[in-house]
Amino acid sequence: MIELIKKANIDFISRRKTFILASVIVIAVGLVSLIIKGGPLFSIDFEGGTLIQVRFEQGTQVENIRNQLSAIGYGDATIQTFGAENEFLVRVKTSTKSETQIAEIRAAFASINGANDYEIRRLETVGPKIGKELRGDALMAVLVAMLGIVVYISFRFKFVFAMGALAALAHDVLITLGLFSVLNIEVSLTVIAAFLFIVGYSLNDTIVVYDRIRENIKTKRRDKFMNIINASINDTLNRTVITSLTTIMVALVLFFIGGEVIKPFSIALIIGLVVGTYSSIFIASPILIAYEDRLVEKQ
Amino acid sequence: MSGTLKTRSFLVLLLIASALYMVKDTFTYYTMSESDKVIAIENGKLDDMQKNMIHRGLDLQGGMHVVLEVDLAELIRTRIEDSDKTIENLITSSLETSLENGDDFFQVFGEEVAKTKLRLARYFPSYEKGPNAEVLIALEADAKDAVDRAEEIIRNRVDQFGVSEPTIQRSGQWRIIVELAGVTDQKQARELIQATALLEFVLVQEDPQLVEDFMRNVDRAWVALSGPPVEETSTDSTVAATPTDSSETVGSLAELLSTEDGETDIAIQGEGDANRPFSSLVNIGSNMIWVPESNLHKVKRYLAMPEVLDAFPEDVRLGWSNEPRDLKGDGLNYYALYLLKKQAELTGEVITSAKEAMGGFSGAEFVVNVGMNDEGATKWTKITAANIEKRVAIVMDGVVKMAPVIRSKIADGRTQIEGLDNILEAKQLAVVLRAGALPAPMVIEEERTVGASLGNDSVNAGTNAVIIGFFLVVAFILVYYKGAGLIADFALFLNLLFTLAVLSTLNATLTMPGIAGLILTLGMAVDANVLIFERIREELRNGKTVLRSVEDGYARALTTIVDANLTTILAAGVLWQFGSGTIKGFATTLFWGILTSMITAIFITRTIFMILTNRRTMMKLSI
Repeated sequence: MIELIKKANIDFISRRKTFILASVIVIAVGLVSLIIKGGPLFSIDFEGGTLIQVRFEQGTQVENIRNQLSAIGYGDATIQTFGAENEFLVRVKTSTKSETQIAEIRAAFASINGANDYEIRRLETVGPKIGKELRGDALMAVLVAMLGIVVYISFRFKFVFAMGALAALAHDVLITLGLFSVLNIEVSLTVIAAFLFIVGYSLNDTIVVYDRIRENIKTKRRDKFMNIINASINDTLNRTVITSLTTIMVALVLFFIGGEVIKPFSIALIIGLVVGTYSSIFIASPILIAYEDRLVEKQ
Repeated sequence: MSGTLKTRSFLVLLLIASALYMVKDTFTYYTMSESDKVIAIENGKLDDMQKNMIHRGLDLQGGMHVVLEVDLAELIRTRIEDSDKTIENLITSSLETSLENGDDFFQVFGEEVAKTKLRLARYFPSYEKGPNAEVLIALEADAKDAVDRAEEIIRNRVDQFGVSEPTIQRSGQWRIIVELAGVTDQKQARELIQATALLEFVLVQEDPQLVEDFMRNVDRAWVALSGPPVEETSTDSTVAATPTDSSETVGSLAELLSTEDGETDIAIQGEGDANRPFSSLVNIGSNMIWVPESNLHKVKRYLAMPEVLDAFPEDVRLGWSNEPRDLKGDGLNYYALYLLKKQAELTGEVITSAKEAMGGFSGAEFVVNVGMNDEGATKWTKITAANIEKRVAIVMDGVVKMAPVIRSKIADGRTQIEGLDNILEAKQLAVVLRAGALPAPMVIEEERTVGASLGNDSVNAGTNAVIIGFFLVVAFILVYYKGAGLIADFALFLNLLFTLAVLSTLNATLTMPGIAGLILTLGMAVDANVLIFERIREELRNGKTVLRSVEDGYARALTTIVDANLTTILAAGVLWQFGSGTIKGFATTLFWGILTSMITAIFITRTIFMILTNRRTMMKLSI
């Protein structure tokens, strides 16, 4: 029998302050970055604008593209290579007439290596109105998911468990959002989807531990609450680690071979999975100690 | 084997068999060669297949997603006569405010107008003179009509682009979402969504001699092109079809005659007639040719070839109806193909109004009343006088919407079109008639285009990721859990199969985030088995027998699995509700992946364990 952790018996609870402090520091770093940069770096999905993924068969330099675009008044365009050396991602703010804008940009591309050399592989234009709506929808989705979770856990467990789970979730999303800001990765619609997945996953992990706590409260009535929580985390530790490993494994596969388009999504997943696993072990359950009275008294 | 075990095993086999059946079409389609695909299109099999398979999203096959919104400001400006700064500023500021607060434009505009004591009727002489509230209502109705017209135009054009499975849907009051697979050319798309239609009134060529010439010439050109066709395509022409065209008539309000269409149709016999490849695929009616749906693709392909086009008699162009009709009530659909004069008699600009109403001879029929300007009315008088009892086709962007018979001379342009089956049909025709005269200013609010090459790259990357991810997880579980791992791996394979089966049956669209969801599901699906196996190990450690440990392991892990997985399903549900397009794809695969994983990981692996522990007392378990 292979076991990752032989007879796990780690004292998580007495060191809980260290773990919580570590998380607080990471969250603080993220928040500072968010404040300095004036909020998350939103993609055109939420800000409005135009994104063009273009490939030049014979290749060119970022500077070349910038010069051509500046010449026609798009000096504020952001340009970066994307995956391959001859492929670029160009972002410009949307003017009132997106149709003429795209025609102008096409002409600029054509002037680099000729009209047959470039290929627009992806083009996304989002008007300011829709961007605003999408932002509202995304925020709504995250809030509704959180609310749904509180209701669900309160229903299946006790309300205090819901508070613990919610703290863990806020922890996961804040760290991921903060790291995205530090790493300068845009928050797009798919990244929000990844956030919601993380919410679901992290909770999945947390609930497994909570289930065990609930069971152990019944069977080990005489134990101290602290010991019950410790035992529960240790009992489920192997499972937590294995499932996280397989899921992170596939997320890594997605990151390395899933293609450039899905990369921000994969990064959000990997960060979120690691953080989510961490939080369900080190944050979600130790937090329950604060509610010890309310949980144990009723037994 | 005990009774319950037999039932369980039977259920498992049944599940696997139905899943295999459900993915059959998806599998066949994506492994089909291009030439087989062409054959499948022409014999209509592809249409059937596409009803039960997973479709590739726009981000995987290349295509365009466009959100159009009616340009309310522009629309109002075109209605204003004698514009001035006051009203211009009002429009601009209302637009800004409504954008800022996300409020309805007309509400904001109404409020702004109220503040200024402006009399709107003064700017909009085309509406009935009335208080501001009435003008606002009229404006709003006008804007709604613009969206209706734009939608009708786009629907009508989409077919001509040869786009498979186009999606056109309304979103809110002012928006239309258009999704076109395979279209990445912006110019082409622009043409499609440009919101003024070319509406024409064209006489139908009804001379029997001409129709016969047409049939003969096309048959000859076709034979020359392909040689005698093999009998691969079914045809219904052996049955003498007597399609009864509904009595569509045009008549003036004053002298309206509703006569029955006493037409008998001539059907040409000739299945497999090697010399008449074209005639044998269609049925000839009195003023149109009926093409069975199953032969449509083939007929269209040949009729578009230059050699065939050259063989057309003089002054003939084709007009297709874009909605098939079940002529004989036997479930077989036919498309009407009209031979039209090349020159249109009138175009849509002369139409000043078109409104659905109740009328006709009995007063209880569904009709459309059309009004024309003076220029149009003068021409129309001559045309109708010279072509009584002949058919005139109403053609929008090349598609025949209707071909009613002219019943009498119409002197004042006031025309009534009869023969509509219900009020919706009448309404739709009225929209079509208005679409030719009134531009519907639409702007692109959102556009997402993915080139076919990038889509292909994504498919390849995604497929590889699924395969590699699957084998990594399988290997990991096998190493970790040995024999029991093999069972979990089998369950994981079934999980993948079942997810694809459900997606096929739902006719779901797989997007790149959808593929990511599939991969993640693979990583997470083992969770249920991990939970169970860890529990079994615990029970074994506590000194229980194998049988007992397995039983307790499953029993105890069950609530945890359900509790834990439901949260992910919850998150997927929220995503589905709020997400758009590609995100929905992620939510869908995640939802069904997790749901089926509960079946495979709990029910199926348990059954396998039961079979293994049945009859013999297992002393050791490889776990």
